[in-house]
Amino acid sequence: MSDFLSAFSIQSWLESCPQGYLDSTEYGHRPGEKESEAMLDNEDFLEQEIRTTVQLVLGERAALAASSGLINLAPDDPSRMFLATQTLDEARHVEIFTQRLYDLGVKKSDLDGTLANYGNPNLVKFAEVLLEKIDKGDFVAGVVGQNIVLEGMAFSVFEMMHATNEIANPKFAHTLSGTIADERRHVGFGENRIGSLLQAQPEKKPEIQKMQQEMTAHMLAVFSDSFAESEEVIQEVQTSADPDAGPAMYQGVDLNTADSEEMEAVLSNTVIGEFKTRLARIGLEYLPPAA
Amino acid sequence: MDDPLLELNKAGSEQPEARNSSDGARQRFVLGETGFNEVPRKYRKFYRKWQGEGDSLALNEVLCPVCLVVIRSSRELRVGDRVYCMPCMSRLIVTREDGILLAKVVY
Repeated sequence: MSDFLSAFSIQSWLESCPQGYLDSTEYGHRPGEKESEAMLDNEDFLEQEIRTTVQLVLGERAALAASSGLINLAPDDPSRMFLATQTLDEARHVEIFTQRLYDLGVKKSDLDGTLANYGNPNLVKFAEVLLEKIDKGDFVAGVVGQNIVLEGMAFSVFEMMHATNEIANPKFAHTLSGTIADERRHVGFGENRIGSLLQAQPEKKPEIQKMQQEMTAHMLAVFSDSFAESEEVIQEVQTSADPDAGPAMYQGVDLNTADSEEMEAVLSNTVIGEFKTRLARIGLEYLPPAA
Repeated sequence: MDDPLLELNKAGSEQPEARNSSDGARQRFVLGETGFNEVPRKYRKFYRKWQGEGDSLALNEVLCPVCLVVIRSSRELRVGDRVYCMPCMSRLIVTREDGILLAKVVY
C-alpha cells in the first residue's frame, strides 16, 4: 500500500480539525457571535437566508448519507478511516447549518416543514443520482460523485458565500471557513484515492461520466432556481448595504454590485471549470448536461 | 555575521538567505506564520491561503491545484521537486509550463 494512504488517519484529522481550526468554536463560529441584526429585522432578507441555509442542510444530509454509505464499500482500511472522519465532518455540517436555521428563528418543531417548504427539488434529484450508485455498491462512482462532484460544488459555493459574508455577517463567514477547510480534505481524498483506482479500472469511466453529466444538470438547475428566486432580494440587499463597505470579490466579480445573473454565471462557470480540471486530472472527461 | 535563518521575522514575512549564485545554489527562506490554521501547528508556516487575483508566488512557493492553498518551502523550488500538500493530502511534483512553475498531482 502506498505511503500516501497513511495520511488518511484519525490522528491526522484530530490534529488538523478539532484540535486545530475548530478549537474553541461553537457550532463552527466564534463563541457569542450573532447573526446580523439588519438581516434579522428584514423579513425578505431573513426568508432568503433561511431558503439558502435549507439548501445547505439538504446538501449536507446527502453528503452524510453518501460518506457513511461509502465506508463499508471502501477497499482498504485507510480509506475506511478517512471516510469515517468525513462522515463526522458531514454530520457536523448538518448540525451547524441546522443550528443556523434555529438562529434565524426557525422553531425545532418546524424544521421538517421548513426543509420541505424551501428545499429545491433539483437538489433532491442531484442527491438521488449519487445515492443510487452507493446503494448499488459502486465505490469508485460513489467517491467521484461525492468527493469530486458534490464536494467540488460545495467548495466553490462555500467560497462564494464566504466572500459575500466576510464583512456583512462574520458569524456565518466563520462557520463557512471551517467547512471550506473540511472540503479541502474531502476533494483531496477524492482525487488522490480515485486517481489511482481509476487507472486500474478504466472500464468504469463511461458510467461515471454519465453520472457526472446527470448530477451537473441538476446542480445547474439548482443554481438557476436559486438565483432567479433571490433576484429582488439581492437588489434590496445591495441598495441597503453600507456604501463604505469594500468590495466582496469572488473570481474577479464584486458580489456587492453584481446582479443575480452575473452571480449565477460566475458560480456556474467556476464550478464547471473546476469539474473539468479535476476530472481531467484523474483521467475522466467532463460531459456537459444533455440538451 | 547575521544569519537570516536565526532572525525573527514579522508574521508572514520571509527573507532570502542568499542570492541565486552561479553554481546553482538555491535561495533559502525563513518562513513566518501566515495565519493558516488548517494543519497541525508545527506545519502551519509551510502553507498560506491563495488570495486570488493580485496575489503572486515567491520563488519558494507553489499553488496546490487540488485545494488551491499555497505550499511554501524553506528552499527555492525547482522543476522536479516533490512537495506535499497537507491540507488536502496531495503529493505533487513541480513542473514548468509557459515559463511558470506549477505543481502537478502524483497519483
